[in-house]
Amino acid sequence: MRDAITLQTRAGHWLVALLVLGGLVFAVVGFATGDTFYLRLATEALIFGGLALSVDILLGYTGLLSLGQALYFGLGAYVSALALIAWQSFWAAIGASLAAALVCGLAGGLIANRVRGVYFALITFGMAQVLAKAVYNTRALGASDGLIGVPVLDINLGLFSVSSASPVGFFLFVLAVTVLFYVLAAYLLDTPFGRLLIALKANENRVLFIGYRTSTLRLGSYLVAAVIATLSGALYPMLRGFASPELLFFSTSGNAVITVILGGVGTLVGALYGSVLLTIVKSVVGSWTEHHLIVIGLIFMAVVVLLPKGLMGLVQPALVSVLGRGSRR
Amino acid sequence: MTAVRPVLEVADLSISFGGLKAVDQVSFAVERNRVTTVIGPNGAGKSTLFNLISGALAPHRGHVLLEGRDVTGAPPYRMQAAGLARSFQITSLFFELSVAENLRLAAQVLEPRVKLGLPVGSSAKARTRVQELLSQFKLDEKAGQIVGELSHGDQRRLEIAVALASKPKILLLDEPTQGMSHADTADTAALVRSLSNDVTILLIEHDIGLVMDLSDTIVVMHQGRKIAEGAPHAVRADQAVQTAYFGHA
Ligand SMILES: Nc1ncnc2c1ncn2[C@@H]1O[C@H](COP(=O)(O)OP(=O)(O)OP(=O)(O)O)[C@@H](O)[C@H]1O
Ligand SMILES: [Mg+2]
Repeated sequence: MRDAITLQTRAGHWLVALLVLGGLVFAVVGFATGDTFYLRLATEALIFGGLALSVDILLGYTGLLSLGQALYFGLGAYVSALALIAWQSFWAAIGASLAAALVCGLAGGLIANRVRGVYFALITFGMAQVLAKAVYNTRALGASDGLIGVPVLDINLGLFSVSSASPVGFFLFVLAVTVLFYVLAAYLLDTPFGRLLIALKANENRVLFIGYRTSTLRLGSYLVAAVIATLSGALYPMLRGFASPELLFFSTSGNAVITVILGGVGTLVGALYGSVLLTIVKSVVGSWTEHHLIVIGLIFMAVVVLLPKGLMGLVQPALVSVLGRGSRR
Repeated sequence: MTAVRPVLEVADLSISFGGLKAVDQVSFAVERNRVTTVIGPNGAGKSTLFNLISGALAPHRGHVLLEGRDVTGAPPYRMQAAGLARSFQITSLFFELSVAENLRLAAQVLEPRVKLGLPVGSSAKARTRVQELLSQFKLDEKAGQIVGELSHGDQRRLEIAVALASKPKILLLDEPTQGMSHADTADTAALVRSLSNDVTILLIEHDIGLVMDLSDTIVVMHQGRKIAEGAPHAVRADQAVQTAYFGHA
């Protein structure tokens, strides 16, 4: 007998495979038509998909609503931008971002995990606001203008290298990295550690009595989410050539939460589809009217009311039952 | 030959909430592979006593010794690691998850810690334990069912199974028959009796027939204090127990 959680994870894998397929088709079409704009936009959607993925690890699995995940995304963007300006090396940027993620994630996790529920949401919100304001007022980091002048980069992957200036090349690279984040998260969440996070969401008190220190589990989850958010943020200046304080603002954190709810809380893959969807809606509606936030708000409300399990709630159960039947035979 | 130590000893255990002395200077010992039952009227402090022993609450006074080791005030996960597990009066399970997954989560502690980071499938010992428990508690057929959809009786049984999953040395059961039908109560009594061959049991129970039948030792509490302790027939005859517990009888 294969259990329900593993089946759901499997269903997610198929949906990610579909997303990759769609991405490859998109890349071919983009390449053939010589497009830049849409490839760049899609790359950005994937980068923010990574941020949403980190929100889903907290919200969908551990039951923690972070309203300040932009803290880590922005942290990654700034650290990466600084490292790129200093050393022009992709691996240096990633290494520095990872180190920053671990240090700040540990510190932030220790602070935020002292409280639960609404208070957790408020503390994560507050921590992100503090960093956002600090960066906004720091001349050395470009203050309100942001950190500009991040050089074009050749990402050396051993066998070949990818230029951050190549729309198709960098899109495919970010697609691969995003899938890597997904694989990492999906793997982790289907281990006993991940199952304990799900248990934490269901009944934290009992987890304590079956023998686990719940504060350590929560911190672990927070740290994983911080790393994924930071590394996603680290890709941003490679795409756009700058890091701006808006990346740290509440709008970024809030968008990530909306993305997860649109895509389907607790599905991981929903975060990626949600991000693509939100980006499409923003650019399509944005081309009709300046008031695209109103439209997004209405769509969000409709999804919450009509599709409480988000986009994935529509397709995943069917896929799970197909997979379940397949594995029983 | 050394004397056999009690599995659990509590000494002078006390806690108060505001002015209320919920548990007041309670001392007793629980012998290995025996069933010790705590009885007492509603609000006597029985569940609070369990909370003190299992680490849910830290006592204001007194000590808890597990196999002679002082574990007073240790958090629940430490108590669990020391071999003490408990069930709850108000069913406390992972209601959104399957029966098997509830058991697997609890059985995972049988595995080395590194297995926490490996795929679930690689925890073979936990998987075997789940199968054992499913058949022992007659839940095989319901393994894949979501706990929230189980009958009350099945949930109560699973509540015990989850506590037992880690193969504890001592099992604290807080009113396992709470809200059960007559037939289910009898089943549970038989189950507890069969468990007592392998694990020391400290029980809270209201069903007096069942208590008399199952217990080796009875501890009687009233208004936070221990008012009597002894073998079932002796406790039944006790005058203080007659007035406090059996009311005007
Ligand atoms: N956390 C708490 N804070 C304040 N008062 C409490 C707390 N826990 C228990 N009490 C009080 O302590 C007393 C003992 O409660 P307890 O739950 O231990 O009784 P009990 O013997 O288990 O009763 P029952 O048979 O109804 O389960 C009660 O008066 C209860 O209201
Ligand atoms: Mg009670």
